[in-house]
Amino acid sequence: MSATTIYLALFLYFIVGSIIARYAGRKMGGGVNEYFLAGRSLGGVVAALTYSATTYSAFMLVGLAGFTYIGGVGALGFELIYLSGLVLVAFFGPRLWLVGKRYNYLTPTEMLGDRYQSKAVAVVSAVAAVIFLIPYSAVQLIGIGALVEGISGGTVPFLAGVGIASFIAVYWTWTGGLRAVAWTDSLQAAVMLIVAVLSVVFIAYRGFGGFGNLFTALESQYPAWLTVPGPGFFNIHAFIGLTLPWFFFSLSNPQVSQRLFMPRSLAQMRIMVMGFLIFGFIYTLVSILWGFSARLLLPDLEVADAATPALLGLDIVPASVALLVMLGISAAAVSTVNSIILTLSSMITRDVFKNIREDSIAHQELLVGRIFVPLFTVLILGFATLRLDLIAALSVASSAGLLVMVPALIGAFFWKRGTAPAVILSVVGGGIVATVLQYSGLKPFGFWPGVWSGVISTILFVGVSLLTRAPENKAEEFIGYLQEELDSKEVI
Amino acid sequence: MKKKRIFWAGLFFLMILAAFVIPYTPLLNDLNRVYGAFLFWNIFALIVIVCLGIITSKWRDLG
Repeated sequence: MSATTIYLALFLYFIVGSIIARYAGRKMGGGVNEYFLAGRSLGGVVAALTYSATTYSAFMLVGLAGFTYIGGVGALGFELIYLSGLVLVAFFGPRLWLVGKRYNYLTPTEMLGDRYQSKAVAVVSAVAAVIFLIPYSAVQLIGIGALVEGISGGTVPFLAGVGIASFIAVYWTWTGGLRAVAWTDSLQAAVMLIVAVLSVVFIAYRGFGGFGNLFTALESQYPAWLTVPGPGFFNIHAFIGLTLPWFFFSLSNPQVSQRLFMPRSLAQMRIMVMGFLIFGFIYTLVSILWGFSARLLLPDLEVADAATPALLGLDIVPASVALLVMLGISAAAVSTVNSIILTLSSMITRDVFKNIREDSIAHQELLVGRIFVPLFTVLILGFATLRLDLIAALSVASSAGLLVMVPALIGAFFWKRGTAPAVILSVVGGGIVATVLQYSGLKPFGFWPGVWSGVISTILFVGVSLLTRAPENKAEEFIGYLQEELDSKEVI
Repeated sequence: MKKKRIFWAGLFFLMILAAFVIPYTPLLNDLNRVYGAFLFWNIFALIVIVCLGIITSKWRDLG
C-alpha cells in the first residue's frame, strides 16, 4: 500500500474525529467534573461505545489473533473469561456510581483515599496506575507505528505512525475532555466493529468459501488448535497466568472503572454494560476467526503478531478493506490511549495536586489536569520511540500490576476492617512483585506474575488490616449508605 | 438482598471456575471439533450475558 494512501486515510480520519471533538468541546461546560467525567451525564449508548473502545485496544486484532495463531482455541477462552469479568460490574457498578455522585469523586483512587481516610492511599494508588499504564499506552503507539510501517512496506516510517497517533490522541482529548473522548470513541468503536466484521466475512468467503468450510478445514488440518492445551501455548499455567489478572480488568484499570461514574443514571449504566457485552462478544469472535484464518492461509509465519499484517497483504482482502482494517486497528489503539491519558491526568490533578495544595481552587485544578494531557502524551510518545525491552515487560505487567488495586477496592465496599496502611502495603508490595517477576521472567512453582501479585497483595491487605486500626466511622457510614440505598431499590 | 447477592456471587464463581477447568478435563481436551471447547466457551459467555441482563434489569433511574 502506498505511503500517500495511508497518510490520506489517516488525515481524513483525523479530520472527521476533529469535527466531532470540536463539537463536543463547544457543548462542554466548566469545571473538572465536566472535563473529566462529562458532567456524569453520559447516555447509555455513548457510554457503551466509549467503554468498548477504551477496553479493546490494538491487542485484539493483532495480539489475540496472534495468540490464536500459535495457541488455538485457548485464546477464545482467555478473552471470553475476560469479557465475563463484567460480572464484577454487576456488584461494583451501582456502588461506584452511587458513591461517586454522593461524595463527588472524580477518580476511583480518590474514592479509595476517602474511604480509607488517607491521602497517601490516593497518592500511592494514582502513582501505581501511572507506572503501569504509561508503558501499556506506549505499546499501543508502538503497535500503530509497526502496523503502518509493515503495511506500507517501510515507506511510512515507524516514527511517523507513532507521532501521528499521539497527535490525534492529544488533540481530541485537549479539545473537549471526556465528552470529546467519548464521542470520538463512539465513532471509533463503530469503525472497529464494522470493519472487523466486514473483513472476517471477506476472508471467510473469499479464502474458504464460507465459515462452515473454514471450520471444516480447521478440524481436518489443525485439530489440536480446537483443544487446550492443544499446540501447547495455552498450558494450564499460561492460561491462568494470562486470564486471571484480565478477569479483574473492569475493576483494576482506572480508565475503565472511572467510566462507572459517568452514566447519567443506573438505567443508562445498564445499556452501557449490555452494549459492551454484545460488542465484546462479537469483536472477540472476529479476532479469533482472524487468527484461525491466518493459521490456515499462512501456516509458516515466524512471528505470531505478523498474522494480521500478513493477512491484510493477501489477495483475498481488497486493498480498500485492508486500509479500513488499518484504520480500525489505529482507532482501537488511539481510543485506548486517549482515555488513559485523560484518566491519568484526572488522577494527578485530584489525587496528587489537590492533596498537596489543599487551598487550590477549582480552575487551578482543571488547569493542572489539562496541562498533564499533553505532558502524559509526550511521555508516552517518548517511551514508544525508545522501544525498550523494559517497556514491553512493564506493559505485559500492567494487568498483573494493576491487579494489586483489587483487594483494596473489594474491601472498600464489602469489608469494614480494611485499613489505609494495608492498602498502601498491598499496592506497593504487589506492584514490586509483579514488576520483578515480569522483568526477570521468574515463575515460582510455574505460576505467572499476575497470580503472585494477586495472592501477595490480598495477603498483605488482609493481614495488615487485621493488625492496624480501621476508619470505623467512615466505613460504617460509607457501606451503610450503600446498603440502605441498594436494598430500597432491590439492586444486589 | 443479601441472599440474592450471595446466590449470584456463588453462581458466577461456579460458572467461571467451570470455564477455567472443564476445557482442560478429558471431557473436552481431546475433542478436536468446533462443538468442543470452542462451543463450550461461547455458550459460557452467552449464559453470563443473559445472567447480567437479568441482574441489571433492576437498574432503573434512581438517584
